Amino acid sequence: MTPSARKQPLPLAIISTGFVILWVVLAAFPFIWTVWGSFKVEQDFFSRDTFWDAIYGVRTIAQTGSAFTSDGYYGAWITRDFLSSVINTLIVTVSVVVISLTFGTLGGYALARSGHRYTFWILMAALVFRAMPHITLVSGYLLPFFEMNIWGYLPTAIIVLVAINQPFTLWMLHSFFLSIPKDLDESAMVDGCSRFQAFRLVVIPVMWPGVITTGLFSFLLAYNDFATTAMLLSQPNQTMVPKIASFLGTVQQEGNVMFAVAAVVSATAPLFVLVMFFQRQIVSGLTAGAVKG
Amino acid sequence: MAEIRLKNVSKRWHNFVGVDNLSLDIADREFLVLLGPSGCGKTTTMRMIAGLEDISEGEIWLGDRLVNKLEPKDRDISMVFQSYGLYPNMTVYENIRFPLRVRKVPKELHHEKVMQAAKMVELTDFLERRPAALSGGQRQRVALGRAIVRQPTAFLMDEPLSNLDAKLRVSTRAQIKNLQHTLKVTTIYVTHDQIEAMTLADRVVVMNKGVVQQVGTPTDIYDNPANTFVASFIGSPAMNLVNGNIAYGTFVAKGIEVKGLQKNVNGAVTLGFRAEDASLVSEGGQLGAEVYSMELLGEATMASFKIGDHLVSIKSGKEYRAEIGDTIHAKIPASICHLFDAQTGGRLARVAAN
Repeated sequence: MTPSARKQPLPLAIISTGFVILWVVLAAFPFIWTVWGSFKVEQDFFSRDTFWDAIYGVRTIAQTGSAFTSDGYYGAWITRDFLSSVINTLIVTVSVVVISLTFGTLGGYALARSGHRYTFWILMAALVFRAMPHITLVSGYLLPFFEMNIWGYLPTAIIVLVAINQPFTLWMLHSFFLSIPKDLDESAMVDGCSRFQAFRLVVIPVMWPGVITTGLFSFLLAYNDFATTAMLLSQPNQTMVPKIASFLGTVQQEGNVMFAVAAVVSATAPLFVLVMFFQRQIVSGLTAGAVKG
Repeated sequence: MAEIRLKNVSKRWHNFVGVDNLSLDIADREFLVLLGPSGCGKTTTMRMIAGLEDISEGEIWLGDRLVNKLEPKDRDISMVFQSYGLYPNMTVYENIRFPLRVRKVPKELHHEKVMQAAKMVELTDFLERRPAALSGGQRQRVALGRAIVRQPTAFLMDEPLSNLDAKLRVSTRAQIKNLQHTLKVTTIYVTHDQIEAMTLADRVVVMNKGVVQQVGTPTDIYDNPANTFVASFIGSPAMNLVNGNIAYGTFVAKGIEVKGLQKNVNGAVTLGFRAEDASLVSEGGQLGAEVYSMELLGEATMASFKIGDHLVSIKSGKEYRAEIGDTIHAKIPASICHLFDAQTGGRLARVAAN
């Protein structure tokens, strides 16, 4: 600990530090527990006798000869081909992020700079659609998708996810664009840019933190979505989350729950890397000093 | 380089009139200042010339081109914004170079032109910095440098000095005047500060509520204000205005009586005179009243009187002293007085007094 410049009274320091530690433990425990458990057999991790089984791995030792086993990972990745759903997830999330950001930046910029009154109503409509449960969109689309024979394919799920996500990206980018002074695009236009050049050369470079933040939220939505992907994708096209759910749904087969646990850990790890990698971009404020100081 | 002509230009938003039927001829290389209180339509006028605002009615000509429908980029003007509008992600050098880059000026010329502009605005030491690392005055100079790096038809400046402190404002003002003189480019300058207008302008356009009040040289506007609005807006302090009655060439209001004015008007009028034209005297004079306040300005002393609802200020030498509440007299000869219509505020033309 570095010596703090502002001195806190000792009891307050103890209480606040204790609270932070407690919070970290509470927040991190489920994940740490899952990671630990993913290396055990089901009879240990889901033991009916005592949770100490999960810690010592009594049956894991009995069954495999070691306190840790990677059977869950082997089953999920090799036996049940988790890799294909990882690739599907990659395709879906990247497509959703790219499409959402393309329409979101263009639309958000247009809405932020337009002087017309209907922009307010467009944003209101977006808010309403944002508030709707995702499943409403899915159930409405399901029959037409069957009739058009496009059910089960990745592009179909991507379109629906973009539709769910777009109102949110529009709102978020719209408010980011509002925070960028109008003088910036106007001076670019006087300097010789067309409206689109001003957008591309001047506004977007200043907008990176906003674009990245919005992109991250879009990514998380697509990555974590269950309702849409579970309903709209056929078995071979499943993304990770419905795949994990299908591991859980077939508990009559021993070991499948552990496949799910191992898959969950596999699916969570990239998120940590992502957030850590982008946290600087999310926090940084490039706009500082754009206008008068 | 070209003259700019505005023909019956109007701007309306729904029911609100921003600029009303404005016509203006701006000569080549002229320094024209649009002056008025906030919300008078001066910035709107400039933005219409720049192409950032649609024109509801009328025509704008840059040289021999009708530019009503042209995009800002095709009008070949450059503009300095009140908040500078610098690109925060680019260095000073890149900021100044930006207009050359987007206008596809041959790359070989960039460096020379940027350095030339940077030298003119004294920024050569800061070229690698970003705007965030500059002071207000330096940012302002970057904006100026970006405006002069190419040779535009006209400069537009929207209150470029309003974010600077008083001392910097004076030196930058001189710099702008000098730049315009060197570059010989038609310049339109918007401000609400009448001192800036007086010091910079070849001609001043005084606006109020979207309507032009007077167009003229600074001297003209100072010495012969067209109406009470201009009279009360120009000068520091503004012209003293006193409501009263005139009959047979004699103006009478409470505490003030001026003889020898023009005889062709009778009835209610507003009398105006400049603080520095009148003088304080111990006896006699046209005004006699109690001192309302005394202000020491350094180079002069200002005595104010309350005449009716109006505060009347009269300048005197820097040694002059009086106490609040003393009764003082002032000499206001008819020759320094201006008469305005009490209803319309318009100037009543002076005719030979006989």
